[in-house]
Amino acid sequence: MADDSRLARPLEYYRKFIQNDVRPDERSLEEFRPTVLNIGCIGTAEGSALVKLGTTSVICGVKAEIAAPKTESPKKGYIVPNVELGPMCCSTFRPGPPGDQAQYLSVFTNQVIQHSKCLDLEELCILPGKYVWTLYCDMVCLNYDGNVGDACVLALLTALQNTYLPTVTWNEDSECLETSDSTKIRLNVHSQPVSSTFSIFDNHILLVDPTKEEEDLSTGQLTVVTADEAICLVKKPGGSPLNDRQLAECINRAFSRSKEVVRLIHETLNSVER
Amino acid sequence: MPADSRRINGPEKSISPYAFSKPCKDIKITEPSLQRKDGRNPDNIRPIFLKTGLITQAQGSAYIEQDGTKVICSVYGPRAVIRKEEFSMQGQLTCDFKFTTFSCHNRRQYQQDAEEKDFSVQLLEALEPAVLLHKFPKAQVNIMVTVLQNDGSVLAASVTCASVALADAGIEMYDLVIGSSARISGATILMDPCATEEYSDKDSAHVNNGSVTVGLMPSLNQISAVTSKGELEFEHLNKAMKHCVSMCVDLYPVCQQALAVAMETRINADPKT
Amino acid sequence: MAEIHLSDAEKTFIIHGVQDNLREDGRGCEDYRHLEIETGLVSNTSGSAKIRLANTEILVGVKAELGEPYPEKPDKGRLEFFVDCSANATPEFEGRGGEELATELSSMLARAYQCPSCLDLRKLSVVEGKQCWIIYVDVLVLEYGGNLFDAASIAVKAALFNTSIPTLTVSHDEGHVEIDLSDDPYDVQRIEVTAAPCIVTLSKLGHSHVVDASSKEEACCLARLMLGVTEKGTVTAMKKEGSGSLDTSSVEDMLQTGRRVGQALNKSLMEVLMSDDKVGKKQHLTGFLR
Repeated sequence: MADDSRLARPLEYYRKFIQNDVRPDERSLEEFRPTVLNIGCIGTAEGSALVKLGTTSVICGVKAEIAAPKTESPKKGYIVPNVELGPMCCSTFRPGPPGDQAQYLSVFTNQVIQHSKCLDLEELCILPGKYVWTLYCDMVCLNYDGNVGDACVLALLTALQNTYLPTVTWNEDSECLETSDSTKIRLNVHSQPVSSTFSIFDNHILLVDPTKEEEDLSTGQLTVVTADEAICLVKKPGGSPLNDRQLAECINRAFSRSKEVVRLIHETLNSVER
Repeated sequence: MPADSRRINGPEKSISPYAFSKPCKDIKITEPSLQRKDGRNPDNIRPIFLKTGLITQAQGSAYIEQDGTKVICSVYGPRAVIRKEEFSMQGQLTCDFKFTTFSCHNRRQYQQDAEEKDFSVQLLEALEPAVLLHKFPKAQVNIMVTVLQNDGSVLAASVTCASVALADAGIEMYDLVIGSSARISGATILMDPCATEEYSDKDSAHVNNGSVTVGLMPSLNQISAVTSKGELEFEHLNKAMKHCVSMCVDLYPVCQQALAVAMETRINADPKT
Repeated sequence: MAEIHLSDAEKTFIIHGVQDNLREDGRGCEDYRHLEIETGLVSNTSGSAKIRLANTEILVGVKAELGEPYPEKPDKGRLEFFVDCSANATPEFEGRGGEELATELSSMLARAYQCPSCLDLRKLSVVEGKQCWIIYVDVLVLEYGGNLFDAASIAVKAALFNTSIPTLTVSHDEGHVEIDLSDDPYDVQRIEVTAAPCIVTLSKLGHSHVVDASSKEEACCLARLMLGVTEKGTVTAMKKEGSGSLDTSSVEDMLQTGRRVGQALNKSLMEVLMSDDKVGKKQHLTGFLR
């Protein structure tokens, strides 16, 4: 039976499919899984988005709080992204502090935000030297079926584009802050970083948007993050080597993915506003 | 708080912007004839959306939405017990309850706080009576509950969600456990309170101000969990519990239907089984 | 709960006995075991109490410290409960064994005392939004012999009754607030605990229920109902505990028993505490060595 050989000899099972340029879930090798966006699904967060990449799902909530800025940068706010891979999303994760992978992803999303310059931290200033916004962006993985990194970046970007901050003003007379819930300001997002992950199968075949099964079988991984028209980050944490032609192929695919995703976000945001 | 080296850390101290907003007037909910803020009658509950099987990695899962209250639960197991000394002939059940950081009005912390630990225990005690633990000796079943958004009656929603997820995972049970909660304010009993209606100890010192949560196994007519908060007179408490029980009975078909729908789609997708 | 291994025959014997209103130690279903209370035992606390309920022994120490109130409750002090199940109490508490029970007990106590009516936290405020009294209640379980929750709540109430907080005078001086501690060590405030609750645990055994279960009875019992009951007969907190479930009608019966027993318990506890207080310092303390 097909299911038995998939469990017992997964590598051989996959090879049979990949010889014919197709994957067990009927995707071609360079095809992403259907991507679904749900915007503003969490009422208690200032901004939120749920991303489904096939069955992988990540929810991102942005919670804004007020804090004192660092003395060396009195006008800069903070942005604090963290990825939670809780015991809920996959059987291998245990309760407790974040594991290696969650830590890696938190650092990764933080790098994406910093290098893509999608937010101007000085726009998060309320009163220079005294009060700035802190945006806590928590990405919680609900279902772990591979390629959580791409899903996290997409959820984060979409949630930030949907973030509305209450107006907080400094009242000179009473010398305290005043918050007004009635008028909310939308956060300015300056660039649109999109991440695309490729998994290397049998040392030379590239699979786009790997599932958990494909990730487990892969011999290496490559992540390309583009921001609008430029490459913002390329990550290749070890594994099988790639030649320059393959790398160029990946980058090209990443750019076309970027266009698809930006269009999707745009359409979804528009449909919500209407 | 010491910096957590495993996470990206923000500033040491930050406060919610809503700490500076003008205090809004307390909502009066004492008059029995009064309509609630969301237009419900005291007896009305919020519409429920319940779906199973969203988390494909888990053996079973369920998602419940009661307007603003959104809870997702996954069930793993029966699987091997990690620590060997916990060997027992009875299967074990564990519950892990967590609010996501953005789920409440004020930001939550990453570590489980006292309230979340308390909810974990209450959830476990609500579900344990319903599960046939002797069917999986030496093994454990882990229930993970995550609150995505909290708009009141979280514990009740979690109980329902978790028991449906257990059923979805194919864990043998005597019955589903259905949760329901009520807010008591004087002579008024508000069913399925939302966050602004929930009891907090800031409320006035009058007697009969509190809340009750009940977990019921409807077809056995057994109460598997009951908790209350606030000072209540016996008669009011009893009346509120009766209301909760009847609400559980009303919710029972909803849960059964969600499970039936899930089973139908599963059969249609794979005719072999 | 601490484990005791009973054979099925022993369990049946206990359960059948309870049905005839006769328990293994000769009590009726609504009787407590012999209870001894001593207050003011530990001199370096603000208040303390030791309770011995048959084999269950609990020491409660209360410390009052000045601290900042919570921003959402600027005009109130607060109570903080900490429970330590020492390994002396029962071998099961060794290592981290007692931790789960300890958190459960402290959260139940906190919930029972949470109502504004049972303890006026406003009286613990010193300077609104700046300073308040924080009452740390440390519960130490010395020996475990069943019915921990009831015993702990009685001891807490007694210790709070015994607590004296130094009187503070607050003076406002050109925007500065000055807090003065009275020089007289007898110039103290007491905490009003008349309305404070006691926890009554009702254990379901067979078709009936009993109060103050011994550890043997606890081993036969699958479901318990815990009630925080005040002197007025109101319920401040309720919780079902244990791996069993309860019939809807029996919950009502248990509530009724709990109220009746709880009221009587509170009343006799206050009487004892009051009469002890009148005797004052002259009373002879037995302490731990008897």
